[in-house]
Amino acid sequence: MPGLPASVDLDECIARLYRKELLADSVIEAVCAKTKELLMKESNVVHIQAPVTVVGDIHGQFFDMIEIFRIGGYCPDTNYLFLGDYVDRGLFSIETISLLICLKLRYPSRVHLIRGNHESRGVTQSYGFYTECSRKYGNAAVWHYFTDMFDYLSLSCVIDDKIFCVHGGLSPSIHSIDQIKIIDRFREIPHEGPMADLVWSDPDPDRDEFSLSPRGAGYTFGAQVVKKFLEVNGMNHILRAHQLCNEGYMVMFDDRLSTVWSAPNYCYRCGNMASVLEVGPNGERKFNVFDQAPENDQHRAEVQQQQQQHAGSDPIKDYFL
Amino acid sequence: MAPGPTAGVESFTTKNGQWKITTRKQPILKAEPIEELNKAIGIPIPEMIFGDNYVAIEHIQTGWKLDFNAQDALDRVSKTEEGMLQVAVADAWKKDREHNEDIKQVVKPFDWSYSTDYKGTTHPAQSQGDWQVTSQAKHPVRADLLSRPDPILFFGEVDLYEDELADNGIGLLSIKIRVMPDRLLLLSRFFLRLDDVIVRIRDTRVYIEHSGNTVIRQYTAKEAKYDEVSEKLRGMRENVAETLREPNRIAPLLNTVEDRTEIFEVH
Repeated sequence: MPGLPASVDLDECIARLYRKELLADSVIEAVCAKTKELLMKESNVVHIQAPVTVVGDIHGQFFDMIEIFRIGGYCPDTNYLFLGDYVDRGLFSIETISLLICLKLRYPSRVHLIRGNHESRGVTQSYGFYTECSRKYGNAAVWHYFTDMFDYLSLSCVIDDKIFCVHGGLSPSIHSIDQIKIIDRFREIPHEGPMADLVWSDPDPDRDEFSLSPRGAGYTFGAQVVKKFLEVNGMNHILRAHQLCNEGYMVMFDDRLSTVWSAPNYCYRCGNMASVLEVGPNGERKFNVFDQAPENDQHRAEVQQQQQQHAGSDPIKDYFL
Repeated sequence: MAPGPTAGVESFTTKNGQWKITTRKQPILKAEPIEELNKAIGIPIPEMIFGDNYVAIEHIQTGWKLDFNAQDALDRVSKTEEGMLQVAVADAWKKDREHNEDIKQVVKPFDWSYSTDYKGTTHPAQSQGDWQVTSQAKHPVRADLLSRPDPILFFGEVDLYEDELADNGIGLLSIKIRVMPDRLLLLSRFFLRLDDVIVRIRDTRVYIEHSGNTVIRQYTAKEAKYDEVSEKLRGMRENVAETLREPNRIAPLLNTVEDRTEIFEVH
């Protein structure tokens, strides 16, 4: 496997990204190409061992991701599994995903990244990542590097043969883990089918089976579906992200399913808590709950001050009609 | 620990002592209150639910109050199939699934776009009377006076709910209020962008001259097909995706489907 160009020093990239500095577009291109090569070799179901700390949606909230490392430990001292939705909505999607893939390249067996529904060309064009790439780099080239790389992200992970981890949830087309392994995943996330279900579906506490969403697309899955899936596959827990919870996490279906949410004060205005789930060597699960990083407020104050200097007035009070 | 009822509350009383404006901003609801709200309203609750937030305008002398809160707004969302929208990929999605699995169960239909025609909740207290239908000609929301750069003595911006429609767009209900020395304006705006399907803006404006006791309320509902709006934006050489996120810039491109003015003479 050819290495990175000699001009790219991963440790230096990581150090810069921890300081929230952007990498040059040529470096992004090389790093994405290299990440693709690495991800290509991973199965659709990656098997890993505890201890591992599992992280839910981050959505470009860079300061809060750094907070996760502060409270949960830095790489490679702590093993991490990230459940997708790295980009969109937050202010720093590029910095967030750049750091994550550099860490993946540097510590491939200690950092695992799977795909969320936002790791897609379609969704990132509507929810901010595309715009952020064009604004920060002056063109859409880096967006193409990143989204091409997203096509290679794995779809799921199994911890110690017992905990099934996925971004969204289960699919009516998938009964056994082996059916995930045969999905052709190297593509844009389709609108329908099992690959879409894995990144999109939600649990429904009031139902037993699969149901169609009233929106006309998408499934919810109920208690019996979860029970049966775990029995068939000899597992005891499903761990997923994808849904905002004020407490930072939610446990359902008699402790058979957990939702982990890792973006505190989501969109910088929801006021919610966030968490990471620490899975111990004997499969014990502990949610480590955290609040937004203090840097968010500092950054906001700086931006407001800049705007005020530009506009000469208070940008918050607006003369709406 | 639950925050007390005064957490996140800000208020302002007009100089003549006639009107009191209160806003409350709190985090989204926790799991338990969400469950209670779900039971009370009978439909699934939006992804982001600011159930403790509100904006209220009170006439001090009579105790008359008009407030805007999430529960009452959600209670006006259709709880049946009536007016129910479908996402753009719904047809293709169903076709693909027909031969595949036998999933007949559909979650109870409701308007999952959370479109509401909410105009606020009126509490008459000691006051007499009711809302009377009138017109902008007789009782205008004075855009001319509101466009003057009068100092803003109190400003509030409060979200009531938001849902990203499983990444098919956005449905957002938010309230803004600004109080100037002689008048105030409140704007409650429901904005819906359902990608490749529809764009909808439903505004309620409340306008008060502090010296009087007349509350003017104008409700304006506008909408247009998504394609029509994108076509117009392309014609204007605008960035379609970005502009579609800005209700202020889209509003003039939509068709008015309802426009109604009412007044409440508070005494």
